[in-house]
Amino acid sequence: MTQVLRQIVLLSGKDLRIEARSRQTLGLVAVLGVLIVVVLGLGLGPERVKSGMAATAVLWVAYLFGGVLCFEKTMAVERHDGALAGLMLAPIDRGVIYAGKLLSNLTLMLALALIVTPVAVVMFGFDLSAAPFGFAAIMAGGFVGFAAIGTLFAAAVSSTRSQGGLLAIVVFPVSLPLVIVSTQMMMRLFGEGEPLGAVGLTVLIAFDAVYLVVSWLVFELILEP
Amino acid sequence: MTDVSAITAESIMPLADAVADTVSPAVRMRGLSKRYDERWVLRDITLDVPTGSYLALLGANGAGKSTLLHTLAMLSPATRGELSLFGESATRPSPTLRARLGMIGHQPMLYRDLSAVENLVFFGKLYGVSRPKQRAIDMLERVGLADRAQSVVKTFSRGMVQRLSIARALMHAPELLLADEPFSGLDVPSVQAVSALLAELHADGKTVILTNHDVRQSLELAQRVVVLGRGRVVSDRPVRDADVDDVTREVIG
Repeated sequence: MTQVLRQIVLLSGKDLRIEARSRQTLGLVAVLGVLIVVVLGLGLGPERVKSGMAATAVLWVAYLFGGVLCFEKTMAVERHDGALAGLMLAPIDRGVIYAGKLLSNLTLMLALALIVTPVAVVMFGFDLSAAPFGFAAIMAGGFVGFAAIGTLFAAAVSSTRSQGGLLAIVVFPVSLPLVIVSTQMMMRLFGEGEPLGAVGLTVLIAFDAVYLVVSWLVFELILEP
Repeated sequence: MTDVSAITAESIMPLADAVADTVSPAVRMRGLSKRYDERWVLRDITLDVPTGSYLALLGANGAGKSTLLHTLAMLSPATRGELSLFGESATRPSPTLRARLGMIGHQPMLYRDLSAVENLVFFGKLYGVSRPKQRAIDMLERVGLADRAQSVVKTFSRGMVQRLSIARALMHAPELLLADEPFSGLDVPSVQAVSALLAELHADGKTVILTNHDVRQSLELAQRVVVLGRGRVVSDRPVRDADVDDVTREVIG
């Protein structure tokens, strides 16, 4: 178990080191996320912008599009120069490769959230301090499921020719239930209806568990050098 | 007392065969076939590659050489037939079996944004190599890249990338090395260096399977030459029985 964890951290550490050096993904994703928040904020107008519903919806749009870019970029690193074949040759379980990629994607999405969320707080003026832990829990729950499915599909799509648009097309519909639950929970948390509380979080965790287990099992079958 | 003068090659052959049967070959293929969509790229390949031997796989483009190496590397499964490596089935290979294998492919399998030493240390750790940093430095010296250890791979020339790729494949001291056209894109000194490295590996008792387009060079390096044509074994003979012109004719088909 310790060895598997060490391998996962090794794989993810390699991804993050490459990202820290090239700064290709986070730079792009941050600009995209901030642009989405600003453009949608301006587009919604001063009245709607003040509602918690608009703020959470816009934030999730930024997270989703930014997330898809993260999934694509972290898998593209493996496609360059056949590095994925190098990993597949190594004496590690294919599930470890999946978990390493998932951890990299989650870290990048967390960095995206740390950049985009404050912009949304300023832009929409919603009071994050009213429920910071609830916000963090919902975000974490949503991110895990979304990254679980996104990491799987990024690996599948990366071996096809039509990479760019295809990933968003396949990931968004599959992750829709998770996104609906997450946004509903956030809207209610920030004052629009009864909070979903523990029930909502249980549903979110159940979705995460299903997505994680299925993706872990399927990853080995779809991985091609 | 045994009469030594009575021992002939013919008389010891059955004994040699019996000994060979008790030792698992490095690679055993039985009716190995591989299909992509509707096209069979490997057809019914049956070969044994004894441990410690040096085999050259020759063939024209599309003959199935790279596909065969990919299948041997367990990167993609065979459609039909059986494959075992060191006596273990390759259907569900154990990590231990994977660790006994090294591969030099058409692509370098390196990370261009990492330095040479970072790449080798990363792969060394994946294989559980002890003191990976020291081993990486040793390998870089062996392939003549010690002075570029800290340079990122994207600044390397094609030949340097190829040499680093060889260092990556040898980081964990594999017992079986699959080398898919390791000389492509190399200048003459690099070709000599890589040839020497492969010869050294073979001298250490490792098994080497090499694909190459240069018939003469293959016959100089290997012990045995197998020619593939349209996914089938066209010929299989020891190098001492091989003639450059004959083999070239078989390769051209």
